[in-house]
Amino acid sequence: MTGPYATAVIVVSLLLACWTVVLLIVNRPPGRALWWALGALEVLVLGLLVGGVVQMLAYEGDLARLEFVLYLLGAAALLPLAGWWVRDEKSRAAAGVLTVALLVLPIMVVRVQQVWAAGGA
Amino acid sequence: MREERAVTDGQQPARASGRGFGRVLVAVYAVFALAATARSLVQIATRFDEAPVAYLLSALAAAIYIVATVALARGDRTSRRVALVAITIELVGVLTVGAVSLVVPDLFPSASVWSTFGSGYLFVPLVLPIVGLWWLRRTRPD
Repeated sequence: MTGPYATAVIVVSLLLACWTVVLLIVNRPPGRALWWALGALEVLVLGLLVGGVVQMLAYEGDLARLEFVLYLLGAAALLPLAGWWVRDEKSRAAAGVLTVALLVLPIMVVRVQQVWAAGGA
Repeated sequence: MREERAVTDGQQPARASGRGFGRVLVAVYAVFALAATARSLVQIATRFDEAPVAYLLSALAAAIYIVATVALARGDRTSRRVALVAITIELVGVLTVGAVSLVVPDLFPSASVWSTFGSGYLFVPLVLPIVGLWWLRRTRPD
């Protein structure tokens, strides 16, 4: 859970956040390439969710299980919700919302890692 | 920050509070609605006895964030009034809880969204209601 996979999710999310910040500055709506990239990131996050739950079920020690699962579910819901919310938005606000989501996602992954680490793993 | 520049055209008067920069504002409110709800669920489900007052306050904060999110997103006449009330309560709440948590830290053994003016959340909980009220004023239909 604290391995390179989670780190990859964080890095990709931050890179895409740079992308959306650029869109925000030049005032362009998200293009097809960005949506594909966001889709790819979401696949990674879903992998984290599945991997995290599997790891949690295999682990019998102390762990704040409710928090752990909620953070994973929240992380997985973040991008789809943000995408849905800006589906018709033509202004730069679309890039703004996606930027918020892409900055919150790494925070949630870090929280997942902290909860896991605190659990004694 | 970038907020000011994010205000652009294309706002429809009827739903202005949820358009343009409002989209971003609603998104941030939604993040806090989710975070506060999840946090208070965990607190109440796992350790309610430790600090019932603080945890109920957490739940109240969560409810206010949810109401504000939905009301800002809808943006019709009634919703704007609801948003105004919710965001005002939010501002009073974060100022009160922030001050009390500094003076009597024992009341809030485990941080809530509003403890120490939301410092655990980069003070966003303190800035958010101010921006929210500003935005409601700015998008006033009149």
